[in-house]
Amino acid sequence: MIKLSLSFLLTVIVVLLVVLFIFTIYLLFQRQREIRFAEMRDTFLQNYSQHWYNYLINDEIFSIVLVPRQRAQVAAVEIIFSSYLKNIMNDKVEHKIKEFSNLYLKQFYEKDLASKRWSIRMNALYRIADLQIEDLLDTCQQFEKTKISEEEYFQLLKIYSLFQPELFIGKIKESSVHYSESEYRRLFVLLEDDVFIRLFEDFDSWTKNIQFAVIDTAAVKRNMQYIDKLKQLLIHEIPEINIRALKGLYEIGVIDEIDPYVPFVTSDMWEVRLMVAKIFKHVPLNYTYAYLEQLLQDENWWVRSQAAKTIAENKEGIAKLQQFMESSNDQYAIEMAQETVVRKQGNK
Amino acid sequence: MKVFLDYCMWFFGGIILFYMLFVIVSYCTMFVIAMLVMRKRYKLDPSEYDDAHIDAFYSKPVSLLVPAYNEEIGVVDTVYSLLNLRYPQTEIIIINDGSTDSTLQTVIEHFRMKPVDKIVRTNIPTKQVKQIYESEIYKNCILVDKENGGKADALNVGINVSQYPYFCSIDGDSILDEKSLLRVMKPIILSDGEVIAAGGNIRIANGAKMHLGSVTETHLPNNSLVIMQIIEYSRAFLMGRIALSKFNLVLIISGAFSVFSKEWAVEAGGYSTNIIGEDMELVVNIHRLVRKKKEKKRIEFVPDPVCWTEAPQTLGVLRNQRRRWHQGLFESLWKHKTMTLNPKYGLIGFLSLPYFWLVECLGPIVELGGYIYIVVAFFLGKIYYEVAIMLLLLFVIYGVIFSIASILFEAWILNTYPRKRDLLRMILLAFTEIFWYRPLTLFWRCEGMIRFVLRRSDWGNMKRVGIAEKEKSV
Repeated sequence: MIKLSLSFLLTVIVVLLVVLFIFTIYLLFQRQREIRFAEMRDTFLQNYSQHWYNYLINDEIFSIVLVPRQRAQVAAVEIIFSSYLKNIMNDKVEHKIKEFSNLYLKQFYEKDLASKRWSIRMNALYRIADLQIEDLLDTCQQFEKTKISEEEYFQLLKIYSLFQPELFIGKIKESSVHYSESEYRRLFVLLEDDVFIRLFEDFDSWTKNIQFAVIDTAAVKRNMQYIDKLKQLLIHEIPEINIRALKGLYEIGVIDEIDPYVPFVTSDMWEVRLMVAKIFKHVPLNYTYAYLEQLLQDENWWVRSQAAKTIAENKEGIAKLQQFMESSNDQYAIEMAQETVVRKQGNK
Repeated sequence: MKVFLDYCMWFFGGIILFYMLFVIVSYCTMFVIAMLVMRKRYKLDPSEYDDAHIDAFYSKPVSLLVPAYNEEIGVVDTVYSLLNLRYPQTEIIIINDGSTDSTLQTVIEHFRMKPVDKIVRTNIPTKQVKQIYESEIYKNCILVDKENGGKADALNVGINVSQYPYFCSIDGDSILDEKSLLRVMKPIILSDGEVIAAGGNIRIANGAKMHLGSVTETHLPNNSLVIMQIIEYSRAFLMGRIALSKFNLVLIISGAFSVFSKEWAVEAGGYSTNIIGEDMELVVNIHRLVRKKKEKKRIEFVPDPVCWTEAPQTLGVLRNQRRRWHQGLFESLWKHKTMTLNPKYGLIGFLSLPYFWLVECLGPIVELGGYIYIVVAFFLGKIYYEVAIMLLLLFVIYGVIFSIASILFEAWILNTYPRKRDLLRMILLAFTEIFWYRPLTLFWRCEGMIRFVLRRSDWGNMKRVGIAEKEKSV
């Protein structure tokens, strides 16, 4: 055991102080470098933003001065591209950015993928997907064979989903890595409809998170062809899938018949009853009022509240609620109806 | 008599030395873990995640609770910072806890609040709600006026009124960065609900430039007391929170900025009104509940979402704050003493609680004892000089070296104060910590322990000048 002595402690302190001193010098030097990098990046932005605008928007001829020669210039180009991609929906601009990135930025990201630093590799994978550098697909597949993290693998899946959906579906099937629902949604939302619909075909073979993400993505894509698929899931044996499918159908907002939903009014699960109360918002009140009145007297607060809101949404809803308040004996339901009526009238 | 004194000096000297070594080793371990965690993320572009999750499709709605008691100066800026948040679905619930100043009137006038009739579900019993208001300008902004019942009671009212599955508590004089909520929710979203609570990083706003509820520039303030607190916050962040979070051992996520799953918080009984450290109390209660239900859930500290808060600028206010914090810590630990070293609570019982008892709670007594020892040894003569100097050197490692290391590491990874001059000023001031700031805070923390024994308490509001006010003086 090390004997604790004054000289030992003093040595430890001196060594630590020297280490910290060196680190301070390094940090100051590093900061200087960062300032220089930022200056170069900003100069490029200042000098060439207009050129980029002319090339991307005004269809002017491409100039070789736009090609970045060093990292700071690449960072500037990334900023320019990112702002165009986020703010402008224009196929021509996207195509030009994609073309340019595949030609002139590819080598930078290829080099980054070989970096020892995880964060640099991750940034490169982000850019490959954002800027659609398809030419690096083979490099990515080679990269996959190295020892990579789950986060990197996720980015690779995103890249495959963009450039080779077939490969993506295969990878999802064989993957031993499991991601969260939100992450699967991020992957599925990028898929073309013809590829996405195939996820429904093998629905029961997917893990729970993929199943939930498929339903939620179908809802957000708001495509009529998914309505039948979601309706089929209403009779699925897992209640959570029924609830999600109901939620999906509510979000798509096209209810052509109420028969499939009526049995859920008396479901044992309040979440299911809540979703039905929501879905009935998309159906004329004269078809649903009897069921909504039943839900207004539900034992669960959320269901009662939603039923009241759904009724109140209709132009005859307030009158119906007032009528209900006069005839009902259910104090909780009356209070709920009353609050909804007051709020609705207050908003007017 | 001399023999007895000798015995005492050697005995206490030994205990203090052993304790200091134990603390230094604990902090070193946590520092290394924090370094490894943070180093991985160095230079990672966070905007990619932010941009991807700005859509409601990928996130979950959050109710933002702002308890306010006599916060007329800061509350408007806080609400603006919440309105500025980049997050797809939020509701802002300001809870006026029977303020005696013009907090209620300020909020009503500023956000054009009008009274509404609303039935509130009483998930957690609270003091009477007098009136609920809704903003005519911002539809997602609600004001609840209630009888005074303390911060915990105000937060419980907020939970009852909230409609979303997660709630975020924000102090009435804190400012959130626009992406803070998005980032603090990240572990919750990515874990599919396995993470049931998350806390962000608290930074000191004194000296920062602000515009409409956003921090636009950070400068180190001139007040040495505030700078010392900046150093202290960064040390606590690196030598504690990150490492504890990695192993699901977090017992404190700051009430100034934390997100909880409403379901779990309600089941854990909400915020306890009869205790000072209500934020720690809720976290410990949730840990208890998780163990009881044998579920795999986590509570995390997230380093990059930032909440700016105002630090005390005078010794008097700082003293109040510190003794209150320590009193709260002691009270919570005492209340849950049966969890300590209890195998039923796993690592929380075997690592986290003993750490909080030994290092955070009882530490001030031993450390203050160390200072007293050094002074006494000086009068007693040279045979104790060696132990006293040894202690002093350990204080140097503990107080100076760790502080400088935290400043540098923070500057490397997060770069809060980009100016070189600010960095050097912080380093120079860290050298003085053990001579004034540390003994003072130790003394105040000991006072907190005495107050716990005497059972004294208050709401704990500090006298504020308002973050935006300082903007004018910069």
